[in-house]
Amino acid sequence: MYRLAFKNFIRSKSVIAALIFYVIIGIVSIIIGNQFLQKQQKAIASVTQSQKEHILLNTSYIKDEFGLLMYYLKFAYINKPTPLTALAIGQQDVNTTIQSLTIRGLEAQRYDTDLYNPYHLMTGNFDFSFVIIFLFPLLIIAFCFNLLSEEKENGTWKLVSVQAKKPLQYLLQKIGIRYAVVIAVLVLLLVLATFIIGIPVHAAFLAYTITSFLYITVWFAICFFIIALQKNTSNNALLLLSIWLILCLLTPALINNYITAKYPVKEAYSTLIKQRDGYHTKWDKNKDTTMAAFYGIYPQYKNYKWTKPTFDYLWYYAMQHLGDAEAALDTKAMQQKLQQRQKASTTASLFFLPMHSQLQLSNIANTDMATHLRYLDSTAAFHEKLRHHFYPKIFGDSAVVGEDWAKQVPQYFKKTNHYTLYIAIIPYLITLIILIVTSLFFFRKNVNP
Amino acid sequence: MKNSLLIAKLFWQTTFKSKIVFALLAVFIGLVVYAAYTSYISYIKQNEIRSTYQKKARESWEANPDKHPHRMAHFGSFAFRIKHPLSMFDNGLDNFTGNAVYLEAHKQNTVNFSEASFSTGLLRFGEVTLSMLLQIILPLILFFLGFASIAQQKENGTLKILLTQGASFKQLIIGNILGLLGIGFLFLLPIFIVSIIVLTAQQNTIANAATTLRFTTIALSYFLYTTIICSIAICVSATSNTNKAALLKLLALWLLLTIVLPKTIQAIGTYIHPAPSKIEFETDVEEALLKQGDSHNPNDPHYKALKDSVLKANKVDSVQQLNFNYSGFQMKEGERLSAKVYQQELQKLNSIYKKQNQISYTAAFFNPAMAVKNLAIGFSSTDFEAYQQFMQQAEAYRYSLAQTMNELQIKHISNKKPLPTDKPQILEKSHWTEFPDFTYQHQSFNTIVKQQYSSLLALLFWAVLTSWFIHFSSRKAKAI
Repeated sequence: MYRLAFKNFIRSKSVIAALIFYVIIGIVSIIIGNQFLQKQQKAIASVTQSQKEHILLNTSYIKDEFGLLMYYLKFAYINKPTPLTALAIGQQDVNTTIQSLTIRGLEAQRYDTDLYNPYHLMTGNFDFSFVIIFLFPLLIIAFCFNLLSEEKENGTWKLVSVQAKKPLQYLLQKIGIRYAVVIAVLVLLLVLATFIIGIPVHAAFLAYTITSFLYITVWFAICFFIIALQKNTSNNALLLLSIWLILCLLTPALINNYITAKYPVKEAYSTLIKQRDGYHTKWDKNKDTTMAAFYGIYPQYKNYKWTKPTFDYLWYYAMQHLGDAEAALDTKAMQQKLQQRQKASTTASLFFLPMHSQLQLSNIANTDMATHLRYLDSTAAFHEKLRHHFYPKIFGDSAVVGEDWAKQVPQYFKKTNHYTLYIAIIPYLITLIILIVTSLFFFRKNVNP
Repeated sequence: MKNSLLIAKLFWQTTFKSKIVFALLAVFIGLVVYAAYTSYISYIKQNEIRSTYQKKARESWEANPDKHPHRMAHFGSFAFRIKHPLSMFDNGLDNFTGNAVYLEAHKQNTVNFSEASFSTGLLRFGEVTLSMLLQIILPLILFFLGFASIAQQKENGTLKILLTQGASFKQLIIGNILGLLGIGFLFLLPIFIVSIIVLTAQQNTIANAATTLRFTTIALSYFLYTTIICSIAICVSATSNTNKAALLKLLALWLLLTIVLPKTIQAIGTYIHPAPSKIEFETDVEEALLKQGDSHNPNDPHYKALKDSVLKANKVDSVQQLNFNYSGFQMKEGERLSAKVYQQELQKLNSIYKKQNQISYTAAFFNPAMAVKNLAIGFSSTDFEAYQQFMQQAEAYRYSLAQTMNELQIKHISNKKPLPTDKPQILEKSHWTEFPDFTYQHQSFNTIVKQQYSSLLALLFWAVLTSWFIHFSSRKAKAI
């Protein structure tokens, strides 16, 4: 029986065409994601070499003034993308992955963006997550929208309901076959992805698989629900497409409009200006006050006395640091504003699964906003460590040749895990239960027309 | 014509018999009001914030005491990107482009703090703007209201009666198009009313003749687009044998034109023309700069030659004897060279981006939705060109700031290093206020027309193609 029904389904030319089409766009999206990942990896790989050359060049010109040398030297701090980035680019195309920082004021450097084509960002990434979240539902709708209605309209349903003792079982069997085929396509594409991209099959990949699996299951449940209402074919098509439009396009966009209008991030601009003014105005202010403020923050440098009357690197880097210190409150306010945005969208997404899936998939791939915020945050620690390494050498006027420059290689941001699978899947399970129960209710109610 | 109008009237009557059109209109107006309101709030807040900070930055610039001009060149300034009022209509690239850039001597900084960089990822789903409602949602509504028009009559046999009563197939198609277009107007109207309200409500003074002209162009483009969409709906209905077939064809077409193609085509563009990463770009700039001469290196041939020629021309044998400040002069030369090199590399990069985008612009000839999108963002000053314009103006301002400070140094600062007992080398602060603040100039209407001619052409091409569709389907269509 199952085999016959399966043969009947797969025999259709349009079904075959649709499946081939989806496999192709799936592969294309994986290749696009892989290209993106490789570009980032290539850039990261080249940093080690370019940093080495950069240090070599500058130390060859500036041999006797450590303070001047450190004005120019840049040190890379890298947020290395996970292999899963290729499947869920998330915010990674907007946010930078490599920071090249001097030990001067951090706030003037750490928000520097990568290079990108804004038109491309506007049209959005064609990654595998997009295929799952946006396009798979359409395939599911196309497979299911006329399952019962067509039989009714062609008059075969009466025949079926006479022959099959349980019409529900018959319908579930038909849906089940389509479900199996769609899941097979998903699995095939995920397996291909592991080969094309070289993703290790570990916990994150399994979480990605489970999330996409559940998301697809929910869409089948939505279709089952509409079928159970037993409207005609045109109505079903319209209803399902409207649901898709509302869930995948309109609600996320409406919520995004709300968040953008509600939480403008003006703190970003005040950070910029505070940092500039904080540092630059020190040139005209009393130098002893500046030094006292710096010693207040870092008492360990009190031994280095500021003696020269006009210019001294101790004073210079103290000014630089005070720029950051004066912008600190604004930076914090900005981070809090971004947390508020994060919270608002996470809460809203619990009720809309496409949004939830988008956020979760990028969360799993560490390409979400929260990861980037943690990366930015840890940049401050990296920067401080650098400064504490070099401050004594600058302040003590060490010899440039005395430094072991080979040790100054790019550093990597250590990601921490902030994803718990069982919490992330609760919204799917609740939705599934509600949909299945109501569908069964409506189906029973409408079963005998 | 008379027959066509009669049929149009019939279409209206049939459509309004069902309550669904009212429900759709109500939902649509709700979306329009929401989109307009949130866009308005964002626009007002953002421009207020940005001009406030532009002013604040300026105040601290002017608050600088007497000092050495090169300190002012490093103090620098900011350029904040002010949104065009029409960005309320179509936000385009605005959310993805940076909004503030720090302008200082010797260094071209990136434009930072784009809305996208503050986004949790929801921006991926797009946003609801008036333009998006016209581009994506309205076609779906029109396809839905139009799919049954002729196919339904075919299915229940009334089509034959109509045709025997003297109406030609062409009249039938045109009549239905007119009917559907009439309903399309009902949907366009609230958008245009709301747009005019928000455009006149904004307190900025940019709303002038140019904005009106731009908005009229956008409105006409959307009118044409809606006509094309209505025609497609009716032609597909006329050439389909059943209601269902017409609906499915139209839904598939809608998905392809408005959702799948725009994204896929841009992805192809990016794939074919890969752009360099920031590291590669910066390495290229650095290498090109080193070729020009390295101002760090005291023995660099370029700067040594420059010094020798200056000394020779002034008939002196050391820079201390010159009657102008030599280090200012050298910095001026350095700034000129580095800015030139940077611009050259930037242009290379931008030409890659343009190549990527060109594929989308060419694809507009295959997809009217992309043509109208490109026109809308172009005339709303939220497209790639408008952003380029901002970056160029910011760079021009940065360059002029650095060079003005260098000029002041050349003219007023002594060549001799001051002794601790000497007066410090400083200039009066009136020089700082004399240097004007950055103001962003939006592009002129004519410039945009020149940039968008291919999209304009694409839309007109579609208008011609549509009349051919009508002709073709009236010949191909069958009564049964």
